[in-house]
Amino acid sequence: MKHLKPINNKAQILQQAAQEDRIEEVLAMSSVVGCTSTTDPGWEVDAFGGVTSLCQPMESDLYGCSDPCWWPAQVPDMMSTYPDWNKDALSSDEGWRNLNTVFPKDK
Amino acid sequence: MARNVYLPYQMPRGTVAQHKNNYRGGPTPMTTRLRQRVSTLALSMAICAVLQSQAQAAEDGEAILKAKCVGCHIPEEGQALSRISHQRKTPEGWLMSIARMQVMHGLKIEDDDRRTLVKYLADKQGLAPNEADGARYALERRLNNVEDFDEKFTQMCARCHSGARVALQRRPAKEWEHLVNFHLGQWPSLEYQAQSRDRDWLDIALKEMVPELANRYPLDSKAWTDWQQQRPDAAKLAGEWSFSGHVPSKGDVRGVMTATVSDKDAFDVSLKGEYADGTPFNGSGSAILFNGYEWRGNLEVEGVAMRQVLAATAGEIRGRMFETEHDERGLDFVAAKQGTVRLLAVQPEYLKAGSEAELTLVGSGLSGKPSFGEGVEVLTVLEQTSERVRVKVKTASDAPVGIRMVNLGALKGPNLAVYQQISEVKVVPEYSVARVGGNGGSTPKVQGRFEAEAWGKDLAGKAYRIGLVPAKWSVEPFDERAAEDQDVKFAGVMSAEDGVFTPGAAGPNPERKMSTNNAGNLKVIAAVQQDGQTLKGEGQMIVTVQRWNNPPIP
Repeated sequence: MKHLKPINNKAQILQQAAQEDRIEEVLAMSSVVGCTSTTDPGWEVDAFGGVTSLCQPMESDLYGCSDPCWWPAQVPDMMSTYPDWNKDALSSDEGWRNLNTVFPKDK
Repeated sequence: MARNVYLPYQMPRGTVAQHKNNYRGGPTPMTTRLRQRVSTLALSMAICAVLQSQAQAAEDGEAILKAKCVGCHIPEEGQALSRISHQRKTPEGWLMSIARMQVMHGLKIEDDDRRTLVKYLADKQGLAPNEADGARYALERRLNNVEDFDEKFTQMCARCHSGARVALQRRPAKEWEHLVNFHLGQWPSLEYQAQSRDRDWLDIALKEMVPELANRYPLDSKAWTDWQQQRPDAAKLAGEWSFSGHVPSKGDVRGVMTATVSDKDAFDVSLKGEYADGTPFNGSGSAILFNGYEWRGNLEVEGVAMRQVLAATAGEIRGRMFETEHDERGLDFVAAKQGTVRLLAVQPEYLKAGSEAELTLVGSGLSGKPSFGEGVEVLTVLEQTSERVRVKVKTASDAPVGIRMVNLGALKGPNLAVYQQISEVKVVPEYSVARVGGNGGSTPKVQGRFEAEAWGKDLAGKAYRIGLVPAKWSVEPFDERAAEDQDVKFAGVMSAEDGVFTPGAAGPNPERKMSTNNAGNLKVIAAVQQDGQTLKGEGQMIVTVQRWNNPPIP
């Protein structure tokens, strides 16, 4: 951290946690079954056990994260598994209502 | 059109036998007619038909396996197929594997065939009951459970998905190794994420985790060998089952579940029950038994589609029922078969000293005189059947406080708490996740559902659980950030009377800073009245975004 300077709120919170020696506590944070909190940031819960450091609104940069498989257990990864997940919602901000869950349902 | 979230328990919708007949053109009309007859001759013929159907179902499974899987999976010695033959899983685990073949490898398979294949593989290569113990919460969709695996396992395996997903599989080292390689190939950025980039993830995964997993969750086990020999005949589960349950925000429920054999390992199921206040809890549907004990039902209860994920072992059926479209709404469920002698539950599970109350014992083969220990007098027996004993009792003001065991004749049953003062109120679940939804999107809101758990102190000063008590509910910001972001205003609405929290609408909210989602970090507060005083308990609820990848095992 010697050569890095936080320039936004999230980075400042992280630096503060590092200074207070809370990093271990933060990384060991577990959430409820199947949720991820440690994908920096998590999907459901952030590393501090809250929601303020998440990528939200999630619609604003959803594909920037789902494309490189950032939360593959929660969000369809578009690089390897679900390349067409957003075909009806090319702009997630406007078309998020057209996004669907992906597990193949019994018909 | 929106695709709904799939859950595994839809498998029973068409029974395996129905599928079998679709697949091969079998004798359903004949077996149906035979079942309707009551003569000895007809019964014998029916038994023959069932035996034939058993053989047929297995044959169908094998045929589908050959038709659909050998294109990629290489035949090995002794009828084995590469990869497939070296794994054991739950029905949901096999369903996820086949679904993954559909999604990732272009497998084309009809729903009927998929159901038959899941049944075939879950029977042939399943888990023994005690191998699934400790991870059933994931199958039962108890999604507010906080897992407790060791740190290394949590960081290496369970930081993205549940640890249960791993713990509910059995593989030899080579297969665990394939799984590691598959993960890195399919999701290469996993090495750049926190708790990967700080270590040589692949090296640790292959050299440390693979042997550990092969040791902890091995393909071959005595438990599985034994279970295959002991596995009971599913038809023995036919009959009447006395059940007890508890529905958060609605209360205790009890009644009789009737299971009738409809085909090999398949049942028609009906529920006839009621809540403690007399509200009916009736329904019907079907169920399939996988691997001799994994009961999966699809029922409609009071007009609502519900699933049963239960384990049938040792004369008891136990697990959870929940709404098909809202798995957060459900009930713990336990049932004892008619013909067994068992005391399952006492409803409610506590008495206040110095008061009169009604208690109901639920079980099967119940007989004899109820006894609730020192200081509790039975005033009237209001009802006594083999499934239920309802009594009016008076608890003396000096009755010893603490936990005691209920007795009925020679039966010793569940615990009953007697209390004078509630000393502490806890919110259950203590920590939970709700999710925004609706607003024209494809995912429904996932509610929070809370209960207030009263605790007392016994004569030795030790804390003991009294039980679930009525409370007034509210939410507050969990911390300063939540207050600043007005999470209480945006994240949803708590129903003061029943502890049901309904999250806000999905989508960006222009009224919020940066148009953020209606997420929030909230304190859940239960206020319980006692002698003019208010006792409060607190929990934490994260209201968060939708889950888009929602397989049966999270």
